[in-house]
Amino acid sequence: MATSAVAREAVCALRREIARIEGTLPERLEPAEVAGSASAGADIVLRRQGAADGTAGLLPTGAGGLDAALGGGLPLAALVEIHGRETRDAGAVAGFALAMVALARRQATVKAPLLWVTAGETFPEAGSPYAPGILHRFGLPPAALLVAQGRRLEDALWVAEEAAALGALSAVLLEVRGHTPKLDLTATRRLHRRTQAAGRPLYLLRHAGEPAPTAAPVRLVVSAAPAAKRHSLSGALAGSIGPPAFTVAVSRSRLGMPATFTLEWNDDERAFNERRSDPGGVQDHGAVVSPAADGAHPQGTAGAGLAFRGAA
Amino acid sequence: MGVADARAMHPGLDVIEAEPEADRRLLESLADWCDRYTPLVALCGEDGLFLDITGCVHLFGGEQAMLDEVLERLYSQGFRARAGLASTPGMAWAAARFLRPVPIEPGAEAPALAGLPPAALRLEPPACKGLESLGLRTVGALMETPRGPLVRRFGKLPVMRLDQALGRLEEAVSPRLPVAPLSVERRLAEPVVLEEDIERLLLLLSATLKADLERRDEGARLLQLALFRVDGAVHRLTVGASRPLREPALILKLFREKLKAVGGVDADYGFEMVRLSALEAAPFAAEQVDLAGESKADDAGLALFADRVRARLGDRSILRPVTVESHIPERAVAFVPFAGFAEGAPSKGEAYFLSRERPVRLFPHPEPVEVMAEIPEGPPARFRWRRASYRVAGAEGPERIAPEWWQEKEAGETRDYYRVEDDSGRRYWLYREGFYDKGETPPRWFMQGVFA
Repeated sequence: MATSAVAREAVCALRREIARIEGTLPERLEPAEVAGSASAGADIVLRRQGAADGTAGLLPTGAGGLDAALGGGLPLAALVEIHGRETRDAGAVAGFALAMVALARRQATVKAPLLWVTAGETFPEAGSPYAPGILHRFGLPPAALLVAQGRRLEDALWVAEEAAALGALSAVLLEVRGHTPKLDLTATRRLHRRTQAAGRPLYLLRHAGEPAPTAAPVRLVVSAAPAAKRHSLSGALAGSIGPPAFTVAVSRSRLGMPATFTLEWNDDERAFNERRSDPGGVQDHGAVVSPAADGAHPQGTAGAGLAFRGAA
Repeated sequence: MGVADARAMHPGLDVIEAEPEADRRLLESLADWCDRYTPLVALCGEDGLFLDITGCVHLFGGEQAMLDEVLERLYSQGFRARAGLASTPGMAWAAARFLRPVPIEPGAEAPALAGLPPAALRLEPPACKGLESLGLRTVGALMETPRGPLVRRFGKLPVMRLDQALGRLEEAVSPRLPVAPLSVERRLAEPVVLEEDIERLLLLLSATLKADLERRDEGARLLQLALFRVDGAVHRLTVGASRPLREPALILKLFREKLKAVGGVDADYGFEMVRLSALEAAPFAAEQVDLAGESKADDAGLALFADRVRARLGDRSILRPVTVESHIPERAVAFVPFAGFAEGAPSKGEAYFLSRERPVRLFPHPEPVEVMAEIPEGPPARFRWRRASYRVAGAEGPERIAPEWWQEKEAGETRDYYRVEDDSGRRYWLYREGFYDKGETPPRWFMQGVFA
């Protein structure tokens, strides 16, 4: 009995050691009896190294459902993989990453620049970053953008690794197209460790690549979602394109819950909103009668009709 | 005489085609090698080098010793070289070709030249022949001739050359490489081969350079490391810095990247001399640290990072977008090499773009697409791009952007831009170039960018 207790102690110590090396891995627990704050959603309690933890070191996306599925938000000091299924999703993938950078920038006191690293033919294929668009959509001024390009993927990886350890950048975007064996578990782990040490996120944008083993604690699959219509006083405008929307699927997270959400980026507030209903619901109803000032009148319900009792 | 005639006379004749290009390269590599004596090395014709050794002589133990050393080392490399040393380039030229390799004292030019033929004045053969036909067989005779008739008959050149050789007229020798404001070098008794040794030497040199830079209150913006190999080859590695630099450790870091980028230098038998020069220097802004002992170290770290990337991957590897006042989307942003991060006032174009719907990714070269529209001048209903077809679910536009006729002579065509969303929600920026009613060619459609 004593030996088993000692053994259990040793195993626990080893687990803690592994957790320390791997970073702060929360344990997924059933709710109820565990004391601590329910930080992420109603039925999940996060524990890190034994202690319940809030959202320190996490960047909330602002969309409740996604934050809950991620355990509070995207980690600030970690490698985050953002996948696009095809190269033509490059706009949405880059847009989502830039939105996260913009969210982090809003909270930051020092406005550090962002480094966008890529290699080879990625920019000609997927389009180069366009500063006016990034400024308009995400409020990131051209001066806050740096672009590094290497001929080979090794060059880009080297730049990203060096940049990941640098405190003077707000974030690093490493963009890789297609499937490559060079970006394996070892390479991603190197990136992840350096990012953790520096305390800033590194977003690994991957297009048209198979989901490969990765050391990144979070992997999202992002694609574009049909935008809602623009609204005027008389309702939605047919054929118009409203704020950009993203479909975000969590394919790997610390909680291990696969989930899909539709997010909408609000240009004015520079924040994400989660879209509850599909945009099909927001149709042009062509309402010509102005709604009542005190709201819609409740429809009269039949109630438990006494008169029917006799019939029943 | 043709080759056939010559072969008839001497059947064993070996004929080698002249290679002026290769000769030129050889001369240039020799000039590189001569860099060890003075930074001012100039090419002279197809077979000569000028070395301006003003102020360098004492490093080699006197003029005669220096002359002997140059000749000896060239001889041991397999060159039969002639050399002359004098106070003027013209005299040195003549001495190298017509006199023994003995330095000519200042003021002794006239007697030295007197016995030489006119060709010693760097004149073309026809001019020499003309002078000789008048009985002016030596430069001494030329010196005694009245100058007026000489100029009338042969032009200014002979007289000018004479004056230059005698030092009456200043002659500038333009060096082939820019002269570094500061350079530090070390000659080694034993050649170094290992990269670690080179790095250690570099640290020593940059420590010396740092002292010099501090005295001038400057930092280096462009640094060059010249490695002189035993067999005469010279490797030059240049690194740029985005902010003035003088810390030996940082300089070493930059050169380490450069060495990695070129895959290491071929040391062969080793390097016998190493020189570090600051090709460009700029005022060094001394920074005051705050109470915590921290200055804007982050910014410095970023500058160093950018320099290292540039040293390794080339100058255009790390860029910064700058808005330009132009309506044409692909011209509205220029990428400039990163030179320090400064978030000051927004540039002029930014306010304009803040209110415009622009894509986050742009194709610098718009790609042609095939478009079907419901009405000719309307938004697209379907389009085909990169061999895939798309159905348009919504479109906004057009936004008309006219060509910039004030910028270019051959102004392009007017573009009508549409924001288009396909049925799966991806948003694109398409434009139609030209009009339907005028012109023979129908308008064409292009894909310019993708929205978030």
